Amino acid sequence: MIRKVLLGTCMSLVALAGPVSADSSTKVALVPGGPHPYFTAWEQAGMDAAKDFGLASADYKVPQKWELGAQNQLLESLVTQGYNAFLVFPGDPVGTVGIVDELVGTGAVAMALAGCLRDPSEAVFCMGTDTGNSAYLGTQQLLKSLGGGEGRKIAHFTGFLVDANTKLRIDAVEQAATEAGAEVIQVIADIDAPEPAEEKINAYLAAHADEVDGIITTAWVPAVVAANALRKIGDKRIQMVGIDHDEVLLQAVKDGFVHGTMLQNPYGQGYIGSFAANKLREGCTVKADAPFKSNALTDKFIDSGTVFAGIDDVDDYVTSMQSITKTLFESFESTYLDC
Amino acid sequence: MKRQLNRYLQSDWFGPLLITIAAIALVSWFNPSFLSPFNIQILLLAIAVNAIIAYSQMVIIAIGQMNLSVGAIGGLVAISFSGFMEVWSIPWPVAAFMALSVGLTAGYINGLFVAMTGISAFIITLATLSIYKGLNLGITEATPFYKIPETVKALGNSNFIEPLPWLVLPTIIVTFCLWYLLNRLPVGRFILAVGGNEHAAELSGISVRKTIITAHAISGFLAGLAGIMLVARLQIGQPTIGDDWLILSFAAPVIGGAVLTGGHISVAGTLLGVVIVAIITQVLVLFNVDPFLVQVVLGLLILWAVGLNKLREVRAARSMDELGAGA
Repeated sequence: MIRKVLLGTCMSLVALAGPVSADSSTKVALVPGGPHPYFTAWEQAGMDAAKDFGLASADYKVPQKWELGAQNQLLESLVTQGYNAFLVFPGDPVGTVGIVDELVGTGAVAMALAGCLRDPSEAVFCMGTDTGNSAYLGTQQLLKSLGGGEGRKIAHFTGFLVDANTKLRIDAVEQAATEAGAEVIQVIADIDAPEPAEEKINAYLAAHADEVDGIITTAWVPAVVAANALRKIGDKRIQMVGIDHDEVLLQAVKDGFVHGTMLQNPYGQGYIGSFAANKLREGCTVKADAPFKSNALTDKFIDSGTVFAGIDDVDDYVTSMQSITKTLFESFESTYLDC
Repeated sequence: MKRQLNRYLQSDWFGPLLITIAAIALVSWFNPSFLSPFNIQILLLAIAVNAIIAYSQMVIIAIGQMNLSVGAIGGLVAISFSGFMEVWSIPWPVAAFMALSVGLTAGYINGLFVAMTGISAFIITLATLSIYKGLNLGITEATPFYKIPETVKALGNSNFIEPLPWLVLPTIIVTFCLWYLLNRLPVGRFILAVGGNEHAAELSGISVRKTIITAHAISGFLAGLAGIMLVARLQIGQPTIGDDWLILSFAAPVIGGAVLTGGHISVAGTLLGVVIVAIITQVLVLFNVDPFLVQVVLGLLILWAVGLNKLREVRAARSMDELGAGA
């Protein structure tokens, strides 16, 4: 299914990309923080970008584990293999600044993808989901499905605590709940891996299912596990809004166990990021007055987009994802680059 | 009577049993839903898989070594099992058998390298951890296998008698088999003998090499079994299965009285160690501990459990000494 999504997105973008430019010497490495299904869309995005823009290559390179040291070693070895453009999900928003500065020191282009580095850094910009906004909008959707937030009690299941996005998500959910008069009665974090997620989410529901009206999940694995848990206990009273497009989650939306999901745009990040890296290597510069957004980490942030998909949209979520990428790509060069 | 009590006090499982009973009483007093059938089922599911993981390390601790690749083997077997079913449409029992062979082979390779080269198991399994995890990522490209047969999903998520899940059956069988192996069969005694004093074991005619290889093969098999059970429980062949196993795999045997230098382990103690860790993990959720402090509290509670057990052992030994002196 995911392959079909990527293929569909790719086909629509080929038309947008126009004629393939002359062969480039740009070798892009797309490096996530560790193995995670969210980033797998980067692989296809890199391959499509290499084909569409005539790059020497755009390869998806995964560190063996979620560890800053492992990611740094991989990045260093990629420099020696001739890669000259790096699209990196920071293993740590501060800890990764040093290695990114080193990469730029070798003459490479580097940008933060899907997660940001803390300013100042040599990364040209950060492109990713405005995670706080996505969590905020998702919580609003959840409270809407509950008929309003007044007096409602919700639980929040989220990802790795070492990911700076997690704190942004926790704060955003809290803010949206407070504004609507709801209460976040529990936050369970560090469960973006199947075993701890299964154990903790099920334990929570076993003890507190009667006390909670809604669940918001802001990381991939907790969304999948919580969807399965709600299906297992057969409780459609508890409303849930998930994140991303895992098959299990989408099926749970269709079957009515989950109200909807906040789609992100990993394909667009990889595709447009590779395009931008090549342009920057060919001599383009980032516009001085580029309309970057700000978040808690950086003032050079580009939102790769997010959209809510409920039961009516879930069959057509491919179109939703394509639409986000298409909109961003069409105006990217004129908005952010001087060529 | 006093001697009988002292014998219990000296056994490895007695301390963890007392801690377990006290923890269950305390938690259910504060939160009665802790003993609800659904929560018991959730606890048993966690204990069933985690016990196999802990046994996988326990066997290696018995020979005085460490296996850092327990999680990597479990992950490799998990994705092999789900991959065999999804990609090659192999029936699940055959896929399980083939995947367990992968685990057995991975463990055998560990043992072979350790036994033949004489290099520390710590180093060998550190290297094979990387190899097995690399194979896992190379095969899956970090993308899970989703097409798990309904029968497998049902085995991982349904009960044979309320509230006992199917997954506790393999754990019960393995627990009994391991106890029997370590206490009644020559190979089990060889394992403990090699762990206690390798040189003495060799002088008494035990093949140390064969024993090391056997222990690692058993460890690989058990890690693989845990991987398969997790696929059934999670209903997905996740490449990250096994990433979090290392701390638990050491914590439970140590809480259960295992001596890290080898020669002394307890199957019952390890099982109770797993129960204690599972209860601690649940308690942190049930009592809404700040997510940023969960790891700290978990570490402190495990330290407390290990410390309490050690204190009990020291007191029991002292008491036995006094009894001996009195006689």
